[in-house]
Amino acid sequence: MMRAFLFGAAITVAACASTPRPEARIISSEAALRGAQEAGAGSVPAATLHLKLAQEERAIAMNQLKDGHNHRASLMLARAEADAEVAIALTRAQSAKVQAVKAQESVDELKQKEVTP
Amino acid sequence: MKKLLAISLFAACAHTPPKELVDARAEYARAAAGPAAQLAPAELHVAAEQIAIAEHTYKNHPDSDDARDTAYIALRKVQRAEALGQAAAGQAAAGAASVDYTKTQGRILTEQEKALAAQRDALRQQQGALVNARSAADQARDEAERAHGEAQAERDARIAAEQKAQQAIDALAASMELKKDDRGTIITLSGGVLFVTNQATLLAGAQASLDKVVDALKAQKGHTFVVGGHTDNTGSDAINDSLSQKRAQSVRDYLVSHGVDSSLISAQGFGSRQPIADNKTVEGRAMNRRVEIIVKNNPTTAQN
Repeated sequence: MMRAFLFGAAITVAACASTPRPEARIISSEAALRGAQEAGAGSVPAATLHLKLAQEERAIAMNQLKDGHNHRASLMLARAEADAEVAIALTRAQSAKVQAVKAQESVDELKQKEVTP
Repeated sequence: MKKLLAISLFAACAHTPPKELVDARAEYARAAAGPAAQLAPAELHVAAEQIAIAEHTYKNHPDSDDARDTAYIALRKVQRAEALGQAAAGQAAAGAASVDYTKTQGRILTEQEKALAAQRDALRQQQGALVNARSAADQARDEAERAHGEAQAERDARIAAEQKAQQAIDALAASMELKKDDRGTIITLSGGVLFVTNQATLLAGAQASLDKVVDALKAQKGHTFVVGGHTDNTGSDAINDSLSQKRAQSVRDYLVSHGVDSSLISAQGFGSRQPIADNKTVEGRAMNRRVEIIVKNNPTTAQN
């Protein structure tokens, strides 16, 4: 048990120095950011917050990569990606909500017509 | 070794978990109880896995940036699952509303169709009523035209009959005296031509004149006749009344026996009371001795 823990800790410490550049994360986080922008996250306030966070996090990660902190950068890119995905989800939720409200309004309006033709 | 482990565990317990992990745990509990559990179970599962990683990292490296970042990512995964749950709920609501809309529209259309059908029926009925009314009007007009035609024909027939009757009377004018007064047309026959003096027996020569009268009277449809006997003032009234009555009757009998309807003709003796000329002269007395056949004005003709 103790040996396993020490082994894990040794891996973690070692990772700081020898983690390879997280190429996949760099690409996937950028794709998520672009996806959020295309989904219209910029026009949904709650989503905009996460879009900005994602952009900031990605900027930090890029700096960390320059400094060779690949492990930290990888996690920061994962944060950026997670925020971008939240932005997309919130945009979708907002859009669905608007759609539902509109649909309900249409039904209400139609039912009003039904009552008083 | 054991001592080291104990210190390590103690150290782990003493650390406060990062705010992100606390938030992620709470958020997850909330999401699992919300619509995401039903509508975004895969995303919720991903979030649960990330929480496990965060928990593991926190356990192994409390206070590390990694512990905070993995917890941060876990929190975002939970938030994402929640948001996608809400999106699915919104879509479901929109879908339900859309179905409701279609159903409502169907009901409205059905109602409108019913109303239209009712209107169509009402129109059809009105049309039927119009057709009936028109046909009734046509019928009434035809009837009126027919009645008018009949009336016209009747009037024409009556006029023709009147003309014929008048012509028949007028034909007498050549051989006997005719005059008109408010009683009607009066045919005057001289007593000398008809009778033996002081008798009511018709002379043979009278028949030719009376036959013409018969023809004329037969043509007078709807008229009644009065045969009036008249004398001059020679002799007593008793004799003259009796003689004039007998002579009138004699003429009537002749006329009836030759085809004049007996119910239409009467006879009356007036004696010498209605002279038409001066009894002092021979000519006057001769004129007063006479028989008058009055063709009475047809009441209906008189009205027209």
